[in-house]
Amino acid sequence: MSGSVLRTLADPGSISCESLTYSYPGAVEPALSGVTFEVRAGEYVGVVGPNGGGKSTLLRLLNGLLVADSGIVRIAGRDPTAEPFEVRRRVGMLFQNPENGLVAPFVEDDVAFGMENLGVPHEEMHVRVREAIRAVGLSGYERREPHTLSGGEKQRVALAGLLALEPEILLLDEPTSMLDAAGRRDVMDRMRGVRGEKTILHVTHHLGELLDADRVLVLNGGKLVADVSPERLVLDADLLTGNRLVLPPLSRLATGLGLAATKQRTPEELAQEIRESIRKRTAAR
Amino acid sequence: MRLELRDIRHIYSPGAPFEIEALRGVSLAVEPGEVLGILGGTGSGKSTLVQHMNLLLEPTSGDVLVDGADAATLKKSELRRRVGLVFQFPEAALFAPTVAEDVAFAPRRLGLDEDEVERRVTESLKLLGAEHLKDRSPFALSGGEQRRVAIAGVLAMGPEVLVLDEPASGLDPAAREDLLRLIRTLHNTGTSVVLVSHDTDEVAEVADRICVLEKGEVRAIGSPSEVFYTNPEFAPATVQAVAALGEAAWNAGRPVRFDETLRALAQLMEG
Repeated sequence: MSGSVLRTLADPGSISCESLTYSYPGAVEPALSGVTFEVRAGEYVGVVGPNGGGKSTLLRLLNGLLVADSGIVRIAGRDPTAEPFEVRRRVGMLFQNPENGLVAPFVEDDVAFGMENLGVPHEEMHVRVREAIRAVGLSGYERREPHTLSGGEKQRVALAGLLALEPEILLLDEPTSMLDAAGRRDVMDRMRGVRGEKTILHVTHHLGELLDADRVLVLNGGKLVADVSPERLVLDADLLTGNRLVLPPLSRLATGLGLAATKQRTPEELAQEIRESIRKRTAAR
Repeated sequence: MRLELRDIRHIYSPGAPFEIEALRGVSLAVEPGEVLGILGGTGSGKSTLVQHMNLLLEPTSGDVLVDGADAATLKKSELRRRVGLVFQFPEAALFAPTVAEDVAFAPRRLGLDEDEVERRVTESLKLLGAEHLKDRSPFALSGGEQRRVAIAGVLAMGPEVLVLDEPASGLDPAAREDLLRLIRTLHNTGTSVVLVSHDTDEVAEVADRICVLEKGEVRAIGSPSEVFYTNPEFAPATVQAVAALGEAAWNAGRPVRFDETLRALAQLMEG
């Protein structure tokens, strides 16, 4: 196992954990226990599981906000608690509640905030701010005051601030929890745009967002209970129910009607399949 | 209580070069005992709108009426007791050493005697299935548990209208189911509920009526089947599938809730 850590040493976008264990002060049960996995540079990995399963704790250990009781964390071969600045320069983290992150009087200042802290030259900063704001679909919002924005808009501002830092690794804790279907699609498209370039760990309750992930980690009761492809996960009824995971409504509807669960479909496509099946039945009579 | 909003406009930073008209003349009523779902995309004005329901925000123009009387003439404390507002991520406001203390905070400030405060704390926690947490620290709870405790704090005020702004955001599917069940329970006790959400599936499961906001205006209002089948672009994907069947589904009715939709389509396929 220790060999795996060494192997990823030189890889700038890699993550590896071994026997990671953490308990919150005063808690009876550990929030995370014996978690071991590895993510290669450029992989897109989903993290799912019930509330209290250890998902957010894992992300906090990865960027050094929490220090593990035992076990090893390596980000690009570095220990986040020993070299916090080196690690945080490479790792961008997006929290669930965007309110906590927005600090500046105007949207553009907020997006620039992280870069100012890192000492990015002014000229370059302007370019990156403009680009990041455009990327999240908020052009025209530069001089808006964050408190006048909706929850979903704030979430996008936070994402822009993160992208402007150009991190190699993105740790996303439910980045779309406040977005409507269209906003969620936007953000997911943006994620697809950086796929392969950046290593992404994406915590979500929406399995539908992970259907094209490279892998999905299932955390429950602080333990890593599965590390599987999304295709396998959606077909494994025991794995789903055992970890309180629910397929998107359209997939559940299809399964309930006896159609395949694996396929990602639009409402129109499902309607077409239903029509098809009615026609076959009528023809058989 | 019947809560009515008449032609509400709200402008943020009026007179400033970047003034924003968040609400452009919104009229609607929350009927006694109903669950009103408010749907709308990011930035449609949902949160701004509900903050007018207890005058946390004052309209730039327009009126808020409580049983026909101007809400501005009521005492603010009285209005805020009768219309309880649960914000997005309410657990951020938890502060007391125990859950029971946290839930007791608001009713105690109403000047109720200790017996009554205790009764309300117990009752609210029970309704939320969080009684067993009462001696725990709110900070040692899971996200779903914290959410329920925060809602219990508002319920303990004994509101006639409970406004929930994105109450399920960040909850896992099981905790979200619990929350929808709670809304049905409240409905049965006669409390009116305003459920604000960007998630059409969630609203479809519990709402008696639905209002769709778009760019600060009411785009549609009515029963869920009316609103969704007239404007499928706002409907859950499952309803969109039925709508896309067109004539083929003419005798499937207009199902809205997931179970209804599954049943109707299964019948259609079986013939």
